[in-house]
Amino acid sequence: MELAWYALLGAFFAGYLVLGGYDYGIGLLLARRTAPADRRATLNAAGPFFLGNEVWLVAAVGILFGAFPTLEGELLSGLYPAVVGALTGVILVTVGVQLRSRPAGAGARSAWDRVVAVGGLLAALGWGAVLAGLLQGVPLHADGHVTGVTHLFTPFAAGVGLALVALVAAHGATFLTLRLPAATAVPAGRLARRLIPVALAAVGAATVLGLLSEGVRAAAQRPAVGVLLLALLVAALVGARVALARRRPGLAFAATSAALALPVALVGAILWPYALVSTVDPAASLTVADAAASAPTLRLLGWLTVPLVPALLGFQAMCWWVFRGRTDGRAPVYW
Amino acid sequence: MDTLLLARLQFATTTSLHFLFVVVTLGLVTLLVGMQTAGFLTGNPKWERLTRFWGQLYVINYVLGIATGLVMEFQFGLNWSGLSRYVGNVFGAPLAIETLVAFFLESTFLGMWIFGWHRLRPVVHLALLWGVAITAYASAFWIMVANAWLQNPVGYQVRDGIAHLTDFSALLTNPTFGMAFGHVVAASLLTGGMLMAAVSAWHLLRRTPDHALFRTSLRIGVVTAAVSISLVQGFGFAQFGPVATAQPTKFGGTPAADALVAEWTTTFGPGDYEPPALSSVGLGFMILIGFGLGLLWLLVPLLWRDWIIRLRFPLWLLLLALPLPFVAVILGWIAREVGRQPWVAYGLLPTDRAVSGVDPGVMLASLIGFTLLLGTLAVTNWVLLAKHAARGAADPPLGRRPDHRPADDARPETVLAG
Ligand code: HDD
Ligand code: HEM
Ligand code: HEM
Repeated sequence: MELAWYALLGAFFAGYLVLGGYDYGIGLLLARRTAPADRRATLNAAGPFFLGNEVWLVAAVGILFGAFPTLEGELLSGLYPAVVGALTGVILVTVGVQLRSRPAGAGARSAWDRVVAVGGLLAALGWGAVLAGLLQGVPLHADGHVTGVTHLFTPFAAGVGLALVALVAAHGATFLTLRLPAATAVPAGRLARRLIPVALAAVGAATVLGLLSEGVRAAAQRPAVGVLLLALLVAALVGARVALARRRPGLAFAATSAALALPVALVGAILWPYALVSTVDPAASLTVADAAASAPTLRLLGWLTVPLVPALLGFQAMCWWVFRGRTDGRAPVYW
Repeated sequence: MDTLLLARLQFATTTSLHFLFVVVTLGLVTLLVGMQTAGFLTGNPKWERLTRFWGQLYVINYVLGIATGLVMEFQFGLNWSGLSRYVGNVFGAPLAIETLVAFFLESTFLGMWIFGWHRLRPVVHLALLWGVAITAYASAFWIMVANAWLQNPVGYQVRDGIAHLTDFSALLTNPTFGMAFGHVVAASLLTGGMLMAAVSAWHLLRRTPDHALFRTSLRIGVVTAAVSISLVQGFGFAQFGPVATAQPTKFGGTPAADALVAEWTTTFGPGDYEPPALSSVGLGFMILIGFGLGLLWLLVPLLWRDWIIRLRFPLWLLLLALPLPFVAVILGWIAREVGRQPWVAYGLLPTDRAVSGVDPGVMLASLIGFTLLLGTLAVTNWVLLAKHAARGAADPPLGRRPDHRPADDARPETVLAG
């Protein structure tokens, strides 16, 4: 039962990184000094999906709270600066995208675009640092609480943060290649092709830092699975590059999506059966089973929410279907 | 400064901000459903124009509802890790249900509604708005179930120092839930109605174009607000009974309260179990505002032959009264939340055991940071809201036809049409 909930939690967080990831990626791309019209078109590509993307995070944290209350408290408070950074980024992107077109002046709109770009950067860095923080463990004491914040500031956390920035940027550019009107998609495709090697290099650097990190080596319960998933991640990126070169943006987008989902699977699988590894007291490490809510709660949530998951996904799929294809003159422009 | 005080201050500031936006969300969405449905049934274009204008304001307001709501959600884990550790098994359930059942669908529907004008069939587009409204009510329902449980923990059993869920239905029949939910929903309708009436009054006073349109929304707003204030008063007084029974120390001074304090002193050790005086002061002011707004009923007969517009001063009154419901909701919440101190979960989990073991410096930075961030965004949002409200219903960006762009909007038609 705990495993199923852990998988659902992972699925929602991975879904968030995939969907929110391209929002942050296109947000980062707004930092380029392009014409206002291009920036507007960039945001309109995310248009109808934008609100439905961010809410995967809200749902993931809801599952975390309902099904893994102990983990929720220690994870979020134990990685305080990373979570606050990510949250600030998410807020800036959400507010920036939705409000940037409300003022009529071009100056105000460019200022909001910069807010969105900073937000995308913070969100990617923050979630990267959260994933790294899980992998390197936290000072969880026998009383069940994590103390301090300095444990988070390691080269590895910075490396994973930057790797996630590179990944979302490549993912965002690939999304634009898929969504923008055919004429403007060509430069986006070129950009995506250039960003993928950067992402590969960043993932490589983060891997090296991870191998050098004592915390990561101690926390990894099943390194072999880690290596396998990492190989898949690299393969997905290489695949995306090939697909872009062959002008198959759909395939490339599927590949970069996989590249954003895989880190979540990787963290979950490497640490299993632990959810949160202690760096100070091995006995204090929190297993997934310990972290889970007790059986009556899980049963209740199972009855009440699991039948709904197909409906949730169905309505999201409806949104993707209704607004599928490249943006054209028929869609209202709003953001 | 200690971590506990800072964490409480942060919770108070961010929730108050969140609530200022969600009361408007909940109130306006209800009125929007009415207007769009009327348009669908009658085919009168007036209703579509009203839906676009008020929908525009609704969507702008919604932005900060999301931003502040996100902080609320994370704050439980960041600052109140003891809450999830000791009572998460029970308190977490309604919150998880809320996010999956309500927010997930609400945002998905709203995204489709905003971008679905002129693209989806009218009946589908209308159904989406109904979906947004139903899920908004569902979210208010579940969050109030969660809050009512903190006010009066029920349906649980403590084993190994941790609360476990034993009876979920008790959470739904919690005496601190029903009347409070009714009161909150009525307060939201009141706020939405008063906002609609006040903005319309401003346009009618300034004699902007669209007299007929704002006359309609003035009438809708005044009637909604008048009906809601009676509901607010009814549910409000109805709360005193259950609250005083469940929380004898809240209003204090009874033998039951003294007995409870004595009992806590033996189980939890000596301490100050009286809530701070601040809570009841706010309550009195809220009730005063509640009675004051009861005068809204005097405006209803003036709708006859548009006396309300011809006399003009009632319009001024509506404008000036707009801040009152916002002040009242904050005061009401302070009464409810401060009044349950020093408990997070009344009689079960003391506030100081719920707070995270975070360094005070970190907590202070987070308090200042989020207050400045959300405060700035909130003010910016209200300014934009006011500007769009003042601009009138001529051609709001929401629901604009794709082939219909105003000259002042430098939109990349060529790029998008490409
Ligand atoms: C428009 C806003 C508004 C207005 C005019 C009123 N209230 Fe209220 N009140 C709220 C908005 C509100 C609220 C913010 O929605 C609260 C906070 C928690 C809750 O359930 O509702 C609240 C709480 C609240 C409580 C505290 C419940 C508790 O401590 O658990 C009581 C006893 C009342 N109200 C009673 C009244 C009465 C008798 C009113 C007037 C005749 C009144 N309220 C007007
Ligand atoms: C309905 C959902 C709500 C829940 C679940 C909730 C929960 C909480 C929690 C966990 C705390 C911190 C612990 C404590 O100090 O007791 C708190 C404090 C507080 N909340 Fe709420 N809250 C809710 C709504 C609101 C709203 C809408 C307001 C608006 C004003 C509000 C105002 C406050 C205040 C002022 C405090 C500080 C009280 C104090 O520490 O003295 N709450 N609430
Ligand atoms: C203190 C507890 C609360 C928490 C943790 C909380 C959490 C949230 C979150 C995470 C969101 C954003 C959802 C999204 O991204 O779409 C949100 C929005 C919302 N909340 Fe709250 N909320 C709280 C209190 C309340 C209360 C007391 C109400 C109403 C009675 C309420 C009603 C809403 C509504 C209607 C929305 C959606 C509309 C909007 O975003 O403006 N919330 N809330």
